[in-house]
Amino acid sequence: MATQTQTQDINRAARLDLARLTRHGGQRLRVLLLYALLLAGAAFFLFPLVWMVGTSLKTIEEVGRSQLHLLPAEPQWRNYDKLLNEEAFYRAYANSIFIVTIVLLGTVTSVSLVAFSFSRLEWRGRNVVFALMMSTLMLPYQATLVPQYVMFHELNWLRTFNPITLPGFFAGGAALIFLLRQFMLGIPRELDEAAMIDGANPLQIWWHIIMPLSRPAVATISVFLFVGQWNNLMMPLIYLQKPALYTMPIYVAQKLNLQESPLPWQDMMAASVLFVIPVLVVFLFTQRYFIEGITTTGTKG
Amino acid sequence: MASEARFHNLEWALYTVIFIVISSVLLGALARLVARLFRLSGAEQRKIFWGFTFAGPWIIGFFIFVLGPALASLYYSFTDYQLGQSIEWIGLDNYRALLLGEGRQGRMFNTSMLNSFYYALLGVPLQITAALAMAMLLNNELPGIRAFRMIFYMPVILAGGPAILLAWRYMLASNGGFVNEAMRKLGDLFFVFDYLYRLFIYGTEAFNGFYIGIMRGDPLGPWKYTLPALLAGLLLFALIRGEWSEGKRVLAWRGATIIGIAVAFRLMSKGLMAQPIDPAWIYAGGAAALAGIILLAHERRGLARLIQVVTALAALAVGALVLDRAGFDVASRESVRYLVPLGLVATALGFSAVGPWTRRKSAVLWAVVGAFGLIALARHAPGEMGGDRLEVVARYLTFGSTIETKTDLDYLQTAFPEWLMSATWFYGLAVAVLAGIALLGDRWPRARRALSIGAAAFFGLMAIGSFLDGRAYFGAFVDLAEATGKTNYHFAMFHQALNQFPDRTRVPLWMNSELWSKPALILITMWSSGTGMLIFLAALKSVPRALYEAAEVDGANTLQRFLKITLPMISPAMFYNIVIGVIAALQTFEIIYMLQTPLTRDSLSSAAFLLYARTFSELRIGEGAAMSWILVVIILTLTALQFRYSRSWVHYEA
Repeated sequence: MATQTQTQDINRAARLDLARLTRHGGQRLRVLLLYALLLAGAAFFLFPLVWMVGTSLKTIEEVGRSQLHLLPAEPQWRNYDKLLNEEAFYRAYANSIFIVTIVLLGTVTSVSLVAFSFSRLEWRGRNVVFALMMSTLMLPYQATLVPQYVMFHELNWLRTFNPITLPGFFAGGAALIFLLRQFMLGIPRELDEAAMIDGANPLQIWWHIIMPLSRPAVATISVFLFVGQWNNLMMPLIYLQKPALYTMPIYVAQKLNLQESPLPWQDMMAASVLFVIPVLVVFLFTQRYFIEGITTTGTKG
Repeated sequence: MASEARFHNLEWALYTVIFIVISSVLLGALARLVARLFRLSGAEQRKIFWGFTFAGPWIIGFFIFVLGPALASLYYSFTDYQLGQSIEWIGLDNYRALLLGEGRQGRMFNTSMLNSFYYALLGVPLQITAALAMAMLLNNELPGIRAFRMIFYMPVILAGGPAILLAWRYMLASNGGFVNEAMRKLGDLFFVFDYLYRLFIYGTEAFNGFYIGIMRGDPLGPWKYTLPALLAGLLLFALIRGEWSEGKRVLAWRGATIIGIAVAFRLMSKGLMAQPIDPAWIYAGGAAALAGIILLAHERRGLARLIQVVTALAALAVGALVLDRAGFDVASRESVRYLVPLGLVATALGFSAVGPWTRRKSAVLWAVVGAFGLIALARHAPGEMGGDRLEVVARYLTFGSTIETKTDLDYLQTAFPEWLMSATWFYGLAVAVLAGIALLGDRWPRARRALSIGAAAFFGLMAIGSFLDGRAYFGAFVDLAEATGKTNYHFAMFHQALNQFPDRTRVPLWMNSELWSKPALILITMWSSGTGMLIFLAALKSVPRALYEAAEVDGANTLQRFLKITLPMISPAMFYNIVIGVIAALQTFEIIYMLQTPLTRDSLSSAAFLLYARTFSELRIGEGAAMSWILVVIILTLTALQFRYSRSWVHYEA
């Protein structure tokens, strides 16, 4: 609700600004110039995406011709049909969805439990443990990458999904815990106190009171997790090592190794489009969390 | 197969959940037991139980996935562990090989560190400039600006995955790729654009060729460059930052100049392929000699001045001695050839850039201008002035542009375009620049300084370029090359690129050339620099409007407002973005994986990519662990720097 009024405020301010700016001829020119620059920027940033879609609808002959022709003479939906009937594609997509689902379930649950402990429970040693957690934020993943590989090797977990999905169950991602904790700190304390008096235990408070109220923050970390996991290329490359287990990022990346000539770029781009769609959809619906989140928390202090 | 794997995973997920629940409760119980031992109250004990139980997943995960592996990694890094083989303690061998560039792994590591250095030096500033420009554009409250913000940020989401990178790779195809086609089309339409584009190609290829020459030629690993260059960077950073006293500024300038010129000397020594000589000698000698020159250039009075002159002369003597030791024959005309002109130019430039401007400086500079002018005249009209002597002097001073000695690379004939190398141009330029500096004098200190820096860069490049293949000039090095049988192939690409101005059909080769793979990567990181943009946007929003209004009342123009208000006010964000950018440069993975071809793998590879490519294909755990710890130490240092200095180095709103 707060954000809605904020939005209205900003819109009003923007309209006022525009009215002020366009009053004089020189200012009007400035606004026009700004829009021209903005449009040029938007074209630059959107272009690869547009171009990816355009190429995915071309015939192989069109692909061989000059790339200056952005769109095909006639959209070739066949390219997508072909892909949807391809077993490897289907499998990779299913694997990706499976992995993302497991990771989301495991990570979000465990992260919210830990964030609950760090924000709503008072216990001795909490600050020490919390400081320890925050310090792991600084440690780059390279510090643990190699021995983790050895560990999963010893567990005989190479060529399984386990190394990718299961670490998340241990509340993987200190940044996510921090984000959720900050949100949970803002929930009025009277709520759990009242529940406590009614005889609820912390587990019930977590599930019945805090989790429903934390929905926006949980959504935010889910989106971050989803995008990160969906795009993740390195971990699957290291651990999956078997075509049957490949996820979509590997499937797309593997296209580079095709020996065909000319390369079927229209198929490759069609696979890319299908790969990008979920991320793009999620981003379109939740971009406010990304943009406002970073803009408002900022870097001050 | 896949479904089997999924069931397997689900099964283990169940075990994991059970394990986490049981161990978390056990952890809680243990904590409660400890609490009881400390005789805490019942309520306290209960709180501790629940707290630890809820935090249990993370605490257990911390031991299993962070602390344990980190310690194991540290241990492995001192061993020669390879998966499936026995472990043997080898002490610091891994680190030594990596840091000194010994063996294949070490060389690869050096290469990737130098690549990261390139990204940090060139890519990060470009990325930050792009991000700042975007943020300033998006900071205007116009209708629909939110949509633009979203579009500008969107590449960040996409660039994390391989799909859009695949599209970029296709767009950057050297033959018929969209980018090259579009550029050619634009070039056909506007001839100015065509010329600029070719200039861009020329510059990029020359620069990258030079960088590749450095990377390939260095026998001692990158650290000798990286360290002084880092120091120079820090000094420059300190310099850019305001509120320094004049003395400190002078000191910083002097330090930066010395280090910069010392690095140049290092490059020269390498270019001269004088392998039997430890290049460090030349490095030290050059630094000492130039320290002397620069000390001389600084103005003081009385006893201090005397001490300075003596010190400077001593430094010069040390420099000469060291150079002599390194194989230069200082007394010979070959050495005089470059010491004299370089010394003259450096003195003049040092004069203009260091310290306050004085009358005496003007006089000296005018004298130098006169001398150069005279020589230029003599060079230009040898017939009229007659006299072999003058012509010989002129030859020395034109870096031998008229000497006809054949070298195996035919450097003189090819390295510089004819017009650039001709004495008229060279001396005309020198005279013009120095006279310009002298004329500007006190009135426009900024312009004077800018001109000095520009001229220093030009003459420096000129000199380095001549030295790189300077075997025609230095008899000693010709002998050396013949004695060792080593030719200077490291800079072959540089020479090739410098050799000819690209014609109209030339296109960037992107992933098909070592000269273009890094620019391609930088282009994509600029495309996806939305995170930096958001951070700048937040910073820009926090700059009080009143400041701008006050400045406007005072009559400050847009540029002044940007330089004096915006930049200082967003310096925390700037600093943050720089550090994050450098860390990201070390950790680049996806882009490299998607862009690399067998030809450009080495020229793209970052440390993180190497860790993946080497460690997980050859399963050399010990080396991989050492590599990752070096990386971790660098990143942690940068992070610590960010935390420690973000408060004291940069401006924060009071």
